[in-house]
Amino acid sequence: MTILEAAAALRKRAVSSAELTDAVLKSVRELNPKLNAFITVVEDSARSQAKAADAELSKGADRGLLHGVPVAVKDVFETRGVRTTCGSALFKDNVPSRDAAVVEKLAAAGAVLMGKTGMHELAYGITSNNPHFGTIRNPRDPDRIPGGSSGGSGAAVAADMVFMAMGSDTGGSIRIPASFCGTVGLKPTTGRVSRYGVMPLDFSLDHMGPLARSARDAAVTLQAIAGFDSRDDTSSREPVDNYVPPADCSIRGVRIGLPENFYFDRLDPEVDTAIRRMAKNAGSLGAHVVPVRVPDIAALNAVGRVILLAEASALMEKHAGNRALFGADVLALIDQGRLLAATDYINAQRLRRMMQHDFAQVWRRVDCLFTPTTPIAAPRIGETTVQFGDQTEDVRLASTRLVRGINVLGLPALSMPCGVDRRALPLGLQIVGRPFDEALILRVAAALEDSTPAPR
Amino acid sequence: MKNWKKIAEASQLPIPEPDLDRIAPALDALEAAFRPLTKDIPNDVEPAVAFYVFPEAAE
Repeated sequence: MTILEAAAALRKRAVSSAELTDAVLKSVRELNPKLNAFITVVEDSARSQAKAADAELSKGADRGLLHGVPVAVKDVFETRGVRTTCGSALFKDNVPSRDAAVVEKLAAAGAVLMGKTGMHELAYGITSNNPHFGTIRNPRDPDRIPGGSSGGSGAAVAADMVFMAMGSDTGGSIRIPASFCGTVGLKPTTGRVSRYGVMPLDFSLDHMGPLARSARDAAVTLQAIAGFDSRDDTSSREPVDNYVPPADCSIRGVRIGLPENFYFDRLDPEVDTAIRRMAKNAGSLGAHVVPVRVPDIAALNAVGRVILLAEASALMEKHAGNRALFGADVLALIDQGRLLAATDYINAQRLRRMMQHDFAQVWRRVDCLFTPTTPIAAPRIGETTVQFGDQTEDVRLASTRLVRGINVLGLPALSMPCGVDRRALPLGLQIVGRPFDEALILRVAAALEDSTPAPR
Repeated sequence: MKNWKKIAEASQLPIPEPDLDRIAPALDALEAAFRPLTKDIPNDVEPAVAFYVFPEAAE
């Protein structure tokens, strides 16, 4: 059941929010011991929120499509009175006194918060193999990673534990678990969704967005959480669009760019086939699919890594002396950032500006880009390298290779399921759009879903 | 390539030597990818301190 289906059922009184919440709690009790998707479940407050939602809806006080719908947020979003760990031993007892802006907005929309999902330590990695809170497993194959860093959110949505779970994305951390778990994941434009009350990994690359069961569910969520927030310095005053695609949405005439360079190098052949099949589907729906050359994405990734290493290490500098409190992989990244020169960080930000300008030229030719989200399906837990022909690549670098640069550019991007490989593991299509054109990429994704329902 | 151990020592960063050995290859690889990019930055390019939508992107 999707958010839209649940919303319709709630309004027909075919189901109550209390019943949906009970079903979710049952599912969490059954599945969480195996998947470890949740760090914290707030059973009592969820039940009381559901009861309140039912009472409001019965009186005709309708807050919109999320009203009475059970959701979760990654444990990076501050929740007043509820522990917020950021997946780190540093914050294992951290109980915030405020709600993150996203949590406020979800509450205002009437969503029922079920709990906090697990994540890669400090949101700084893609495996969600967390040394402090345990390994999160992929519902499609529990021997494999769910991706990260929003791995608990991906697992919770893919396992149908909740209708939607919020994630954060600094270098692919929403889109990678969406790809590996077979959900939709949306990283909005920089400034579209407030970062207020989110424990930061990076000052200029962090983005907040939903993982959901469909593009329309992601759109419903974005509609609720988008908008200016004076408490976030990067928040944009760009008007909030109407994001939810209608039932009969069309993509006739939309210009879709299929990159000729970089994005189709070093892929699992099944990923290549799946993306090209989606492009063909889009063409059959009336979109114009055209080859397009994109600026140097390898360079963009190098710039993104310098910025992330420097900014994350600046944030963690005060904790870096407590080496025992970090997992080995995260500590290695923090150490790397501490060794970079200040001049390199400044030049990375200058290169970023040049690359944003260069990339803007792409939008003269196309309205959005189709690329793979990840070059591979979900790796096994503990797998550290992946083989492409005679080349060996670090799993972390391979998993972020096609998504990291989009954070540097600040563009909106979503990942949607585009089929499964020979092992029945999900594959992800990434759709990248112009700044603040979330409505278009959501419409394209919804049209593709309508024409080719994703295997579940 | 840079001598990361000497940089750590000069910066008085208490990073144990085995940890430095472990991260050096990653830093070397990043250095190789990043350093050439810095050669041709025009003088008038300022850092991207805020998100800016270039007019071409808004068309």
